Amino acid sequence: MAVYKRSYRGYAGPVTSEWSRFAIIPRYAYRGLFRSKIMTAFFVICFIPPLVFLFLIYLANNIGSFAKMFGVTGATSPFAVDGEFFATYLGIQAALSFILTAFVGPGLVSGDLANRALTLYLSRPFTRAEYVVGKMSVLLVLLSLITWFPGLILFAVQAVLGGPAWLIQHLWIAWALFAGSWIWILVVSLLALALSAWVKWRIAAGALLLAVFFVAAAFGEAVNAVLEVHWGKLINLTYLFATVWNRLFRSRETFEISEASAWLMLGLICAACLALLNRKLRAFEVVR
Amino acid sequence: MSGHGREIVFENVSKFYGEVLGVNRVNLTIPPGITSLVGPNGSGKTTLMNLMTGLLRPTQGHIDVLGVPPDQPERLFRFVGYCTQFDSFPRGMTGYQFVYSYLLLHGKSHEEAADLTTDAIERVRLTDAAHRKIAGYSKGMRQRIKLAHAISHWPKVLVLDEPLNGLDPLVRAETIALFRSLAQEGQYVIISSHILHEVDAISDQVILLSSGYVVAEGQIHGVRTEVEEHPMQILIRCGQPATLASRIFELDTVVEARVHNDGKGLLVRTRDPERFYLLLNRLVVDGVDVESIAPADDDVHSVYEYLIGPDGGAI
Repeated sequence: MAVYKRSYRGYAGPVTSEWSRFAIIPRYAYRGLFRSKIMTAFFVICFIPPLVFLFLIYLANNIGSFAKMFGVTGATSPFAVDGEFFATYLGIQAALSFILTAFVGPGLVSGDLANRALTLYLSRPFTRAEYVVGKMSVLLVLLSLITWFPGLILFAVQAVLGGPAWLIQHLWIAWALFAGSWIWILVVSLLALALSAWVKWRIAAGALLLAVFFVAAAFGEAVNAVLEVHWGKLINLTYLFATVWNRLFRSRETFEISEASAWLMLGLICAACLALLNRKLRAFEVVR
Repeated sequence: MSGHGREIVFENVSKFYGEVLGVNRVNLTIPPGITSLVGPNGSGKTTLMNLMTGLLRPTQGHIDVLGVPPDQPERLFRFVGYCTQFDSFPRGMTGYQFVYSYLLLHGKSHEEAADLTTDAIERVRLTDAAHRKIAGYSKGMRQRIKLAHAISHWPKVLVLDEPLNGLDPLVRAETIALFRSLAQEGQYVIISSHILHEVDAISDQVILLSSGYVVAEGQIHGVRTEVEEHPMQILIRCGQPATLASRIFELDTVVEARVHNDGKGLLVRTRDPERFYLLLNRLVVDGVDVESIAPADDDVHSVYEYLIGPDGGAI
């Protein structure tokens, strides 16, 4: 029979707050991501369109001065800085952020699952939900930095140049930029994580993400053509976003599906991704 | 902080993977000290550890780890450290970074994490290699850094799945000494192992598992005593085993006696060892020359063989 001294004293010092602990994951993830020169270069490229749009805003507001430089008087801007202008900006940034997601997203979870490393996280005072939030925040921050964040800066610049009247009249654009970007970021990030958790292979998950966007869209079009219906558009993610953004940016363009059905479909996609993550993100997968 | 309980308790716990049995109707109470889980592959050792640490949820039953249910990781892993049998390390990390980064998940400040990391790495004797990448570590070094990772936050309950695998004899001895020192401080060290003679040497109690069932638990001597189907073997070292054998058969508790292979002792099988020892004393008093008396099958290996079978199959 062993005799125990019971001299053990556990750690009794202060600990960091629980709510902020998820931030450790993105901190290490960024360190790894920006070690890649391709990734760093692409991320920098993502800021070129905002710079171009910044120039365009400046140009639109100072077209007279520019025209004078070339000896032209009474010139007016060939484009207006309005909802359509910012919708175009968001479309371009969304495309770039999709490529970034396809590059970053699939590797976030698949490696942990393939190497059974989830146990490392879950055998800490750390829940599965915190793990998902931590991994997702890698994408949320990166995509925010190239979508709504520079978008709002552009809006602010235009507000300064256009004056208070323009700001009051177009304040809804700021909301459209913010909300439109977040819808996109959330759905794309969830999709990337869920597909990554599902196939557990970075390359396959990347390919699958592309397939979900492009093959599903093609399939939807084929359904529409063969069955002479419109609901094939419901599996076209790009079209769903366009439908939602259309309302947000007050575009006059008409769409083949209702805005409500687009919202519903995006909600269903998010729910399916969460269900898949809930099923796959376990310390030990049960193979039946 | 741990809860108010002082033991790890399994109450009627079962875990089924679909139709496959993980563990079934397990009732256990694990006290402080070194407890070894012993059993063949697929017997449920890892399942039991995963249930204890909340990484798996029981299909039925209740688990309590020092008063804390395992489904509360924020409370549980304040005082539980777990080292799995799998090698899974983030790519490109050094041993130091590996221990340090996961201490941050425990909520330790950077300074505290740095101190605890240095301490844990020293305790597993890996200081020289701490700043080398884990990818370049040997199997034994990987085992040790995993151990450092598990003990770094000074857990009260340490759950280690096959921690001695891949360690060379010297490091193994050092690791066992570390387990002993932790147990002596009053910690709960729960180990699964296939190396029976080491289990025998280090364990305060053993839990024998077979096909998902707990076959036996407790201190190994107590378990052996209760295995009544197999009479206890006692090795008596003496100069004249044949003479001793003739006298021993006079005792009614002896069911078998045979001269040891080396001719310098007698192997006796008895159903009542306590009474046998008393009767043997009388023979010694009567002038029979006996050098030593020791149980021959009062160890994990024998108990394992009797209860689980030599091939690891269920009884």
